[in-house]
Amino acid sequence: MVATEPRSARTLAASPGTNAPSTGPRKRERRALQPHGLPWILPGLVLSIGVLYFCIGYTAVISTWEWDGLSPTPEFVGGRNYAQMFRDPVFWGAIRNTILFFVITFTVQTALGMLFAVLLHSRVKLGVVYKVIIFIPVVLAPAIMAPVFRQFFSADGLFNGILEFFGLGAITQPWLAQSSTALWVLMAITVWQWTGLTFVLYYAAMGQIDNSIIEAARIDGAGNLRVIWSIIWPGVRGTTVALAMLGAIGALKTFDWPWLVTVAGPNHATEFLGTIIYRQTIPNYDVGYGAAVSVVLLVLALVMAIILQIRGRERAR
Amino acid sequence: MFEVRSLPGRIGLQLLVTLLTIPFLLPLVAMVQGSLAGAGFENYVAVLSVGRIWNFFISSIIISAGVIILVYVVTMFTAFGFSKFRIPGKEVYFWLLLACLTLPEVVLLAPLFATSVSTGLYDTYWAVILPLAALQVPFAVLLVRNFINGIPDELFEAARVDGASSWSGFIHLVIPLTRPIAAAVLIFTLIGAWNNYLLPLVFLQDPAKQTITLLPSYFIGQFSHDQTKVLASAVLTALPEVIAYLCLQRLFERGLSAGAIK
Repeated sequence: MVATEPRSARTLAASPGTNAPSTGPRKRERRALQPHGLPWILPGLVLSIGVLYFCIGYTAVISTWEWDGLSPTPEFVGGRNYAQMFRDPVFWGAIRNTILFFVITFTVQTALGMLFAVLLHSRVKLGVVYKVIIFIPVVLAPAIMAPVFRQFFSADGLFNGILEFFGLGAITQPWLAQSSTALWVLMAITVWQWTGLTFVLYYAAMGQIDNSIIEAARIDGAGNLRVIWSIIWPGVRGTTVALAMLGAIGALKTFDWPWLVTVAGPNHATEFLGTIIYRQTIPNYDVGYGAAVSVVLLVLALVMAIILQIRGRERAR
Repeated sequence: MFEVRSLPGRIGLQLLVTLLTIPFLLPLVAMVQGSLAGAGFENYVAVLSVGRIWNFFISSIIISAGVIILVYVVTMFTAFGFSKFRIPGKEVYFWLLLACLTLPEVVLLAPLFATSVSTGLYDTYWAVILPLAALQVPFAVLLVRNFINGIPDELFEAARVDGASSWSGFIHLVIPLTRPIAAAVLIFTLIGAWNNYLLPLVFLQDPAKQTITLLPSYFIGQFSHDQTKVLASAVLTALPEVIAYLCLQRLFERGLSAGAIK
């Protein structure tokens, strides 16, 4: 009400005597009234584009240096850091770990998240309690939970205790101390941490599905599994795609858990790109090599981001 | 969704959910149980009597508050600019910002280390606050811009015709109307800053400035691997987050979901 009154008064004043369509002069006038927008976005450009692009460019430059991070005279070595990286089995091990880590954690989280969302949409009692328990790990810092998990999966930890309690004493082992199991423990921890978020997103997405479609399917004789497979799963596809991308980028970013729980070991079994970059840059003072790995990580993340944008558009939010 | 009418069926479902939830609870149980092993509550007394522990909390609060304020102010300006003003080359700037969405912080390690040492920011709160804020702003801007796009232009035009400047339009329209989305931004910025481990690990050497995510390693040194006290310190640091979540469940779930779908 208040908004329309001055506008109509202005339109009248802007076109005295003529019968021109009112949009014409209004549009021109709006442009004239609009001051420059650049000052508004400048803080954001300086902070984000300034800092981040400066860092990216600098990383690319450093990656051609042999440098300890402190010496004033870095040595230019061209592509040597890259050549060294592509010959390093530890680097390829990290790539393999990242892919395996993503495939397994994403599959398990999707299955568990879907299952919880479907179950808690089924008039289960005390739903809030279950939701809270599953979601708490999302909020907790890996750095704080890491000592707990080191203890939990140690040779005399609670996990082996539980196995023994169920008569599975034969398979108890020092889960984190062997290269054959350490990566799987990290996957389990990641699933523990992020299933809550997957669940909440699926739960919300399922709330958007039109109930009458489900009712109609039931009347046509579709059972529970059929409804989930043919209506609910396609209905939450957008969420699944978004979660896949999130999981892929999350796997590329992985640093906190492997560094804090297994220090990327034993014998590089839980090595990720993030742990390589940190170890080379900070404790090993091989900043040039760390930067070269950073550039590769950046390119991979950017490729994921582009795919994400394209898929995001297809979803037409 | 799942339709089960019979009573045994419903009990079965309830049992299934309970069984599936137990693994999520176990680490938390192990944490509390381990922290009470041996000396019992004495472990907590021992941890709390280390005066330093409050320093870690204060540092985390300073850093989180700094990041939140910086992200909020910068995001509001930038999102408003992108949404309601004509800027030459706007699309280019926006895509440059979006490209930062998925930037892993670890990529910034080498240049930030070198730059912070040469500018004297190393071992100050700024060395953590600035990169954290820079990493959060792009997504926050995307979210808030989309939200402001939903506010009709006519509202701003009317305000202008009434003699209001863009600035007062910003203060009296944008700030109050974006409150719901600002709450989501606040939550994921807070969690991101509070839980961050890598940046404090690299850039804060002075124990007086270190954050709570560095507390476990500090206690491992302090109590020479007395696991019970390390776990007691973990419980104490996790507690504020759990309580905050329990009090603001909806807000946390909405905020972190918004933060997840980039």
